[in-house]
Amino acid sequence: MTLALPTVRARKRRRIRRLGRLPLTFLVGGLILAASLVLALVPQLFAPYDPIAMDYNAILSPPSWAHPFGTDSFGRDVLSRVISAYSIDMQIAIFATTGPLIVGTIVGALVGYAGGLTETLFGRIVDAVISFPFLVLVIAIVAVLGPGLGNMYIAVGVIDWVFYGRLVAAEVAVQKRLDYADAGRAMGYTPARIIFRHLLPNAITPAIVYWMTDMALAILLGSSLGYLGLGAQPPAAEWGVQIADGKNFMSTAWWISVFPGIAIVVTGLGFSLFGDGLAELLRTKK
Amino acid sequence: MALLSFITRRLLQLIPTLAFILVVIFLLVHLLPGDPASAILGDRARDADVARINAQLGLDKPLPVQFLIFVKNIAAGDFGDSIHLKVSVASLVADRLPVTLMLTAMAALIALVLAVPLAFVAATHRGRFSDNAIRGSFQVGLSMPVFYVGLILLTVFGAQLRWFPVGGFGDTFGEQLYHLFLPALTLALSLSAILMRNLRAAIIGVVDAEYVDFARAKGLRSRLIMTRHVLRNALISTVNLFGLQVGTLLGGAVITETVFAIPGAGRLMIESIYGRDYPVVQGLTLALAVVVSLTFLLTDIVQAWLDPRVAR
Amino acid sequence: MKNVIRSALAAALLLGASQAALAIERGGILHYGRYADSLFLDPVLNDANVDIWILSNLYDTLILPTDDGKGLKPGLATKWKVADDGLSVDLTLRDGIEFSDGSKITPADVVWSLKRAADPKNGIWNFLLESVKDVVANGDNGVTIKLKHPDPTILAALTVFNSAIMPEKQFEAAPGKTDADKAKAFAEHPVGSGPFVLKSWQRGSTMELVKNEHYWAKGEDGKPLPYLDGVTFELLPDDATRILKLQSGEIDGAELIPYARVAELKQADGIDMELFPSTRVADIIMNVRPKVGGKDNPLSNPKVRQALNYAANKQAIIGIVTHGVGTPMSSYMSSATPLHVGKGAVYPYDLAKAKELMKEAGFENGFSTSILVLAGSQDEIGTATALQQMWSQIGVKLELQQVDNATRTQKYRDGDFDMRAGAWTDDIADPNEITSYYVYSPNIQAVHSGWKSDEADKLFEQSQREIDHKKRAEEYARIQEIYNSSGPTIPLYETPYPVALSKKVHGFLQIPLGNNIFRATWIDKK
Repeated sequence: MTLALPTVRARKRRRIRRLGRLPLTFLVGGLILAASLVLALVPQLFAPYDPIAMDYNAILSPPSWAHPFGTDSFGRDVLSRVISAYSIDMQIAIFATTGPLIVGTIVGALVGYAGGLTETLFGRIVDAVISFPFLVLVIAIVAVLGPGLGNMYIAVGVIDWVFYGRLVAAEVAVQKRLDYADAGRAMGYTPARIIFRHLLPNAITPAIVYWMTDMALAILLGSSLGYLGLGAQPPAAEWGVQIADGKNFMSTAWWISVFPGIAIVVTGLGFSLFGDGLAELLRTKK
Repeated sequence: MALLSFITRRLLQLIPTLAFILVVIFLLVHLLPGDPASAILGDRARDADVARINAQLGLDKPLPVQFLIFVKNIAAGDFGDSIHLKVSVASLVADRLPVTLMLTAMAALIALVLAVPLAFVAATHRGRFSDNAIRGSFQVGLSMPVFYVGLILLTVFGAQLRWFPVGGFGDTFGEQLYHLFLPALTLALSLSAILMRNLRAAIIGVVDAEYVDFARAKGLRSRLIMTRHVLRNALISTVNLFGLQVGTLLGGAVITETVFAIPGAGRLMIESIYGRDYPVVQGLTLALAVVVSLTFLLTDIVQAWLDPRVAR
Repeated sequence: MKNVIRSALAAALLLGASQAALAIERGGILHYGRYADSLFLDPVLNDANVDIWILSNLYDTLILPTDDGKGLKPGLATKWKVADDGLSVDLTLRDGIEFSDGSKITPADVVWSLKRAADPKNGIWNFLLESVKDVVANGDNGVTIKLKHPDPTILAALTVFNSAIMPEKQFEAAPGKTDADKAKAFAEHPVGSGPFVLKSWQRGSTMELVKNEHYWAKGEDGKPLPYLDGVTFELLPDDATRILKLQSGEIDGAELIPYARVAELKQADGIDMELFPSTRVADIIMNVRPKVGGKDNPLSNPKVRQALNYAANKQAIIGIVTHGVGTPMSSYMSSATPLHVGKGAVYPYDLAKAKELMKEAGFENGFSTSILVLAGSQDEIGTATALQQMWSQIGVKLELQQVDNATRTQKYRDGDFDMRAGAWTDDIADPNEITSYYVYSPNIQAVHSGWKSDEADKLFEQSQREIDHKKRAEEYARIQEIYNSSGPTIPLYETPYPVALSKKVHGFLQIPLGNNIFRATWIDKK
């Protein structure tokens, strides 16, 4: 296995080519996300039926002209539910992960730069957070704050930020030992400037890449959390819950779970293409 | 020697960490609404019965008193008995935790085998068909709920092809490995997708970075550059992420354990939380904290080894 | 044409099956998939269905329930007689009965077992034997139960798991200071009186029962029961996995099939989809206290409760949630419970009447309320979601609150809820158990609803001592009339026990009280 390692000149050439190619990943990813946002903002323009209206006479109907994605066990139109779920699922993807990204990145950057005791302390906090039973936290949150989507973000956020924190801390710890950081210190820049202007742009790529993965994971987590009382509340449509609801019907009414599944894959692909493009953009800019 | 003192230091740090976790978990489980009696009796819970059972369990005492008794017992190495299962917490944990460790270890291994080579292929063929195909298929794996993947694997490889048993857990080590393959594969699918994406991006980043050019200029052979620089540097954040994900899996493979009927720690934890079986939740959390901390210790050592610049 | 062939085939198969039923085969181990593991196999100290429903395989009772769950048949006792004054019961023990270790079952064991079961300090089931004053041995093979007051349910109570017979000496020899400690130790390697013995138990995974060589009952071939060499319970918590494992032939039976899959499995090859009649009912329980959380509670108005009942389309719920497996309830108790009265749904769907009642109650514009449902329970969430839509038509806005079981129990024990989903299964072939929880307010305030009827309370107290069967039936008819018209519940549906068995399995039974009975089960090895 050999890698086509670019010479300096070749690399410059490639950089130019890549700038030309960048819009392609961005274009596809961005297009998917734009379409998803439109569906999330005005689902009623596209949904053929009321997503929560039940039709007891059309329970579990297979896909047809009247119901292109079939109906679920309540006789609700699956297409309309998949469309109306965009608003909740885009919310989950963005809100559940952005907070942890920001908090984790800031904490991680500071910890990675400071090192020493701070790093040790942070390491033990990560140990504690990861080994703490998530379910206890979720039940406590439901009991104290009540069920619902907003409280799900809290539950996810309490755990999720350490992922970003650890990723960023490790990268910053590496970057701060490189020549350019020393140069920054020699020039008398403040630590804050060194961290956020110089180190972070180089150290944030793994966090950005993980962020895009995390969005798909958050939507899936929504389906498990729905089963603990957190997440979208019935009768609202949400892909994760739709898939879970279709579990008993996998052999008799596949359409209940397959179509929301496709929606997650496509949206997730949109996020990841967009994220990969973003990562490349960050690199080329440096 | 430096490594040895590093490990010793980390093991010493484990003590305050565990103490902290114990205090938090004790408080939180005891403050959850409901108690063991009403958790299990439900509609049939009569006040007199609940009061009698709580008194038998010592739950009628004030919380600080309960905490002192708890600390005293822990100090004597006694984690108590399960309230509902009437067996010692130590024996339950000893039964169930190894199962989860085995499952997680297998899943981690499969994920690495899938993710590392394919990430290299994808990174070296950036933007080409193979890159897109790899990324696309991993995205599908990532976006499928665990129970869905599990049921499909069980239906195809279990019920139809009969290559693997439909769930359950064997008696001998060989049987157990055989039973655990499909569930481990299920867990590995999303884990490998996360790792693959991270590693791919990291390799691209490293290849683009200046120091590879320097190495190249110094005339090192490509293969050497590959292993010394690209692999090492790219793996740093991947090892990090790997540790975090495996740590999460240790406590959270509940759905996989349920679908595949594996008697693991995740299911024991969820049942104990629902049943308000305080001693089991506490004992299991402590055991998990030890395992998770050791996992992170291991990833930190690997990371330090990969990146000599991070001096310890 | 195809259908004709199919039905001809079906007829041939049926004929084959009934012929095979004549030739019982002995031996083999039955693998049975359960949804949850047992917790504690002590007849007196257990508290959950996962234990109750298999205990009768390990411990026999003096009297056994008949297959329909309503009648009595001889168990360890061959004869019983209630004294004319109703204050004592004489029982005659069967000759030559032995525990699974070969030791004799003596009247002393019976006395000890029943006293332990009736002790108010032991477990949660002692109320079933509340009338027991004393138990004494009566010669070599007789036992007399002395009662505090006449008890019409005492014979039925002797069929219930908690009055099973255990070996006194072996139990008392177990290590431990208290009864509870001894029970823990004894339950690890129990010596029992039922058709099977516990051989091994891997918690959370498998439980192996083997044939009790000393069991008294004889099979159709004149030799001792059980026919099977053993039963192995495999814990398969996921419904879909349980079914797949049955379909792949790795297990021979699977309990609690989701209703959604019953129709599909009825068509499946090699599988008998059984729907055993049960006493299980599902309902909604309303908090009827005048104020909840400091606010006026519309549900305290009986007219509002009636309106909600009329506006709930039970037939639609039965279709959506039970996929047609369930049937409407005609009283708060199941139709399989003795002394049940009622025909057809308690409140047939009638939207116009519901609107009218709302208007009369002064809630023409409806109100907002909430329901506690068990997080993750598809049945409860499905029911609540359907009700949400149905009640929106009379202006009632229903909010779902998903919580875990312990939280929910805490909330309704505190009276801190508007509505909640409920379910019940009888443990005794008598209406007194469900009535004491649902109706009789001194027990748990009518399932914690705060509902109270002095007349119903008085009738229940009378009926607990009424040995005239006809009078007791009348009392129960009146209790049901009161409760069904003004009570705190919305009766939804009754469901059978859905069990899927391999076609090779014969003679398995789950009685309406839930007990899984393997003693006459056999496997066709062809």
